[in-house]
Amino acid sequence: MLLNFDRLGGWKWMLLGITGLTAAFLILPIVFIAALSFGSSQWLIFPPPGWTLKWYAMFFADPRWLEAAGTSFYIAAIVTVLSVLIGLVASFGLVRGRFIGKEGLRALFLTPMILPVVVLAVALYAFFLRIGLNGTVTGFVIAHLVVALPFSILSITNALEGFDKSIEDAAVLCGASPLEAKLRITLPSISHGLFSAAVFSFLTSWDEVVLAIFMASPTLQTLPVKIWATLRQDLTPVIAAASTLLIVITIALMLLVALLRKGLKS
Amino acid sequence: MALLTEQEKIAAVGSIRPIRSRNFALTVPALLLLVVFFILPVVSLLLRSVMEPEPGLQNYQALLGSTTYLKIFLNTFSVSALVTAVTLAIGFPVAWALAIMPKRWASIVFAVLLLSMWTNLLTRTYAWMVLLQRTGIINKTLMGLGLISEPLPLVNNLVGVTIGMTYIMLPFIILPLYGVIRKIDPAILQAAALCGATRWQALSRILIPLAAPGMVSGALMVFVMSLGYFVTPALLGGTANMMLAELIAQFVQSLVNWGMGGAAALVLLVVTLALYAVQLKLFGTARMEGR
Repeated sequence: MLLNFDRLGGWKWMLLGITGLTAAFLILPIVFIAALSFGSSQWLIFPPPGWTLKWYAMFFADPRWLEAAGTSFYIAAIVTVLSVLIGLVASFGLVRGRFIGKEGLRALFLTPMILPVVVLAVALYAFFLRIGLNGTVTGFVIAHLVVALPFSILSITNALEGFDKSIEDAAVLCGASPLEAKLRITLPSISHGLFSAAVFSFLTSWDEVVLAIFMASPTLQTLPVKIWATLRQDLTPVIAAASTLLIVITIALMLLVALLRKGLKS
Repeated sequence: MALLTEQEKIAAVGSIRPIRSRNFALTVPALLLLVVFFILPVVSLLLRSVMEPEPGLQNYQALLGSTTYLKIFLNTFSVSALVTAVTLAIGFPVAWALAIMPKRWASIVFAVLLLSMWTNLLTRTYAWMVLLQRTGIINKTLMGLGLISEPLPLVNNLVGVTIGMTYIMLPFIILPLYGVIRKIDPAILQAAALCGATRWQALSRILIPLAAPGMVSGALMVFVMSLGYFVTPALLGGTANMMLAELIAQFVQSLVNWGMGGAAALVLLVVTLALYAVQLKLFGTARMEGR
């Protein structure tokens, strides 16, 4: 009755109504910002009096915006590579290893996910003040790696646990070296785990704000820091333009993931 | 299972001591990263709360003895509780609908949920700053309809924080609840109907109790994430309703008071870990993220 859509009666429309409104609540602000980024009103009046591309022109004309976007991409790319590599090696240890405290170690590896980021940000900021890593790419990479690694370990251990090790053993029995078997049999089989580890690591670093606010210096800032600093002054439509570009990148990544999932299934 | 397991078992039983550390070395790089750049910095921050400016508990006395700070704690808890209640009230019917509606419609709603979750946090917060401002579309619409004559103050106060946080937390409660409701056997509700239960009875005595574990676990997750949230309260909230994460940042950045910053961080950590322990004890899993 209550779990049968066709027999819900009047309640069906109530549930659909709430769901529709919630979906609208979730999607409209994003659509709204994308629309306003093309609006000519400096004060973000909606509906805008006219349409323009000038906020995009301002975004691309300001070297600080482009520099911040470049820095974000550079840092996120390094974080992605390191996070997948360290995560892959650690996942092999966690899934295949036998040692005392393995489950505790696995839980420990996931703790950066659950602790409030602001605590880590303040703690790392203090530590980096002492060793001079604030405002450096290395500092950013380390800070983002700490929060990206749990996602990587989670995705790769999941994939590795779903992989039947006897296939790898069979390759070894057929004369492959253990390393060769891992590289040519195991890695391709868990590639979906590696891929989602890479996507999550990249997005974690690319979108990260709190750590970045503390690590940033006047000469080195990521895109979220630049947006944050601009937001604290005024709500200029240039942020709407930058946001829309970010939304486009997000949708592209989502489609890529969906396409790859479909490709894997078929 | 693996081909070698039997051999390994024999080897392990054959030797007096089991092999202690097979493959442990592989986890060392990750472990080193976490120890040096996560555990040590956090521990040393917490230590500063009892060492600076001089050894003792005076930072905690100052923090817990002042009405200003107690108000911030209270505000943090009440905002988080409010956001949790609102997300649960909206999230339950949505998760329920998602579990039973035709697949094609549900996949559209899922796409919306994912798009919202994946959109940059600052973008989402910025959108609400624009929507809720005095000259924003919400105030304009309400004034146009003649419902209000003066623009309502919707940002830099509790209303702004609650809307912004609810917006961000909704997917975190809908997705796990959807998983729980989907696993409920529809036959149980059919049986209730056959036994003469009304819709309300079936809802309150069967569906809600069966979904309760998911509701509690999702609510705990949203509550804990809200407690430590920094960005959205800082941008949509006002100075009058500061939250704990902002207080920690302020102690460190503007006041350069590491002792007090460490003490406030410890309070946040203890509460967070205690609630996770509850979650772990009740459900055996704790998988979530905080920003």
